Amino acid sequence: MSAAAAGNPWGQPNATLLDALGDAVLPAALGADGVARAIAEFQRWMDGYQPGAEANHGYGTGRIEQLPADPRPRWRSQLTALDSDARRNGASFSALPRERRQALVRAALQNESGDALPNPLLARHVALALLAHFYDSPAATDLCYDAQIGRQQCRPLSAQRQQPVALGRKGR
Amino acid sequence: MTLVRRQGRAEVIESDICIIGSGITAAVVAEKLAEEREARIVVVEAGDDTVPLSDRAAHRARFVAYGESPWGRDHIDGMTADGIQSRSMQVGGLAMHWGGVTPRFSPEDFRVQSLFGLGHDWPVTYEELDPYYHEAERRIGVAGEQGPPELDPRSNPFPMPPLPLTYNLDLLKRWTDSAGIAMWSQPSAKNSVAYGGRAVCCRNDTCAPVCPVGAKYSPDFTWNALRASRRVELLPRTLVRRLVVEDGSNRIARAEAVRRDRGGANGSPVHFRARTFVVAAGYAWSPHLLLVSRSERFPQGIANRSGMVGKYMTGHRNVFAFVKLPLRLYPGMNEQHSLVTKQFMRPAKLDRYVRHDLRVWESSVGRRPRLKGDDGAVLLGDELLADWRRRSTQGTARVRAYYDVIPDRESALTLNDSATNAYGDPQPRLTFRDSPESAALRAHTEDSIKALFQRMARAGNGEILRSGVDDFQDHPAGGCRMGDDPAASVVDSHGRAHDHENLFVVGAPTSVSGGCANATLTFLAVALRQATEIGREFRGRSGGSRPGNRE
Repeated sequence: MSAAAAGNPWGQPNATLLDALGDAVLPAALGADGVARAIAEFQRWMDGYQPGAEANHGYGTGRIEQLPADPRPRWRSQLTALDSDARRNGASFSALPRERRQALVRAALQNESGDALPNPLLARHVALALLAHFYDSPAATDLCYDAQIGRQQCRPLSAQRQQPVALGRKGR
Repeated sequence: MTLVRRQGRAEVIESDICIIGSGITAAVVAEKLAEEREARIVVVEAGDDTVPLSDRAAHRARFVAYGESPWGRDHIDGMTADGIQSRSMQVGGLAMHWGGVTPRFSPEDFRVQSLFGLGHDWPVTYEELDPYYHEAERRIGVAGEQGPPELDPRSNPFPMPPLPLTYNLDLLKRWTDSAGIAMWSQPSAKNSVAYGGRAVCCRNDTCAPVCPVGAKYSPDFTWNALRASRRVELLPRTLVRRLVVEDGSNRIARAEAVRRDRGGANGSPVHFRARTFVVAAGYAWSPHLLLVSRSERFPQGIANRSGMVGKYMTGHRNVFAFVKLPLRLYPGMNEQHSLVTKQFMRPAKLDRYVRHDLRVWESSVGRRPRLKGDDGAVLLGDELLADWRRRSTQGTARVRAYYDVIPDRESALTLNDSATNAYGDPQPRLTFRDSPESAALRAHTEDSIKALFQRMARAGNGEILRSGVDDFQDHPAGGCRMGDDPAASVVDSHGRAHDHENLFVVGAPTSVSGGCANATLTFLAVALRQATEIGREFRGRSGGSRPGNRE
């Protein structure tokens, strides 16, 4: 289900814009359903976020830190800005062809320093956050490797000896 | 089972054995004493109860999604050390966060002076510790593979079969074989089969900081069983502030503490009286307690006539590298499991002293998805995925060696009078320092290990992506060094303070040196040997029944 159809708390028109953004930045290899699923998971993730919660302070540091402020207001503004840029060229962001939406996103991300995808909570742009959230997922790893790895999911210990099965063989 | 009364403002709790701290060492010591001895045992923990197992899957999910701490209130504001590496002040201590990695030290670790003319020998040998190593492995549940017996001697098999090698580790083992290095499955306190009433590991890949299914041992499991059996009384939220020596003798009379959850901001005073006091508060808080117990009669603190409390803080330093290899490795098969070898624990007689372990993991370094291509252009859509796929046809191995650092006497924990907790007690300051001979060997050691990594890379037609040295000393220990000479140590090999017959310090703080492998199992073996001595003063429990259902 698309973000717009789900009536998410971003509210119209942001949900429509988010769908258009996801279609522009996520791999088409996911298929329409896969893109919609990735966007929906991004929304669920945002909705579950608790700003200021205590961050993990695992082995190696005595510092206690809190998670950052809610990024959603900034990300909403950036979606709106993408739409405004598009409208200056005669159409809403969601109405633009994929290539033109990608060009607007590329322009917005061109000045990002480094090439690493950040922790999505620290992403300075909503497009980067969506990319980082998807590519951090077990589904993205499976897609990249064309294999049923199931990273960070509960799996039988004994199965770790075997080479992961290809995605195309799922369900056999 | 314990006697509670009031004396003035203070509540008084009397027992036979008072254990201070509830980390992994305290847990196995309390369990052994409760099993084997008729004794009223009270355990005092400054922190709160930990997150129950039933909540850990949900907490883990939030850790994975957002990086939230999965452990709730696991620290006390104002209770930290300058120089401390990690914070976990709660029931279970730092081993609520640990990775569950449990190699033994090698026999040479205990005899570096006799064998190599460096540092100091321990007052206990590997052979003497062997049965206690096994006891520790049995109590916490260790899955392990027997290495070559000449490198990895042991008189009893592991209590559980090894964690199987992943598909990745099997490929990496062939690589290390080709480099002439024999490696095997890292012993771990993670269930390869159901054990101790706990589940089998299902590869959630978050052993550190949290296992959501209880397959990794953590001390709360032991405390739950002990509390249920009523053989041990554990008081959380109770901070022991000082030990007080009996007038006219050198025996410890009481531990003065404060209940943090009663009596408002100042807490409610409570005194613990016992025949035997056991300080089991880890490498930082054990020497800290002895030092902060200073008085007119003992101006240097308790158990410190030698001036050795807080001295010889120890650990090991690591050299690491990421090696790109022409192998198709799959990220996330079981990322925290590794190969290990003890092949480099014995320097050749003609070599300069270099001793280290070696571990190998799968790694995603150099093959993570990225935003920009080699030309700096932003990658989106299928381009980004294609770029990631192209860079993932080869694999990366993480290699790491812990090398032996001989501690200097002035590698020390001291009291930092400028930093106090809510009760006005100075906090610890830790300053690690290599001995002069160890400092002189440092560059040679690190260069030798990096050369080994280069040789390994060449053997696999690979290349080093990057390498480095972490500047801190890992698995810190010491500060209440054990030894036979009361002028040069704090406790004897059984943990008994040279200066106070009814005071014991157990586990990590009694270590003489840090060895060159993860040290927790060694801390436990030493502590179990010390617990045997502690228990001798109490009547044996008929049958020696275990308090909990463990196997």
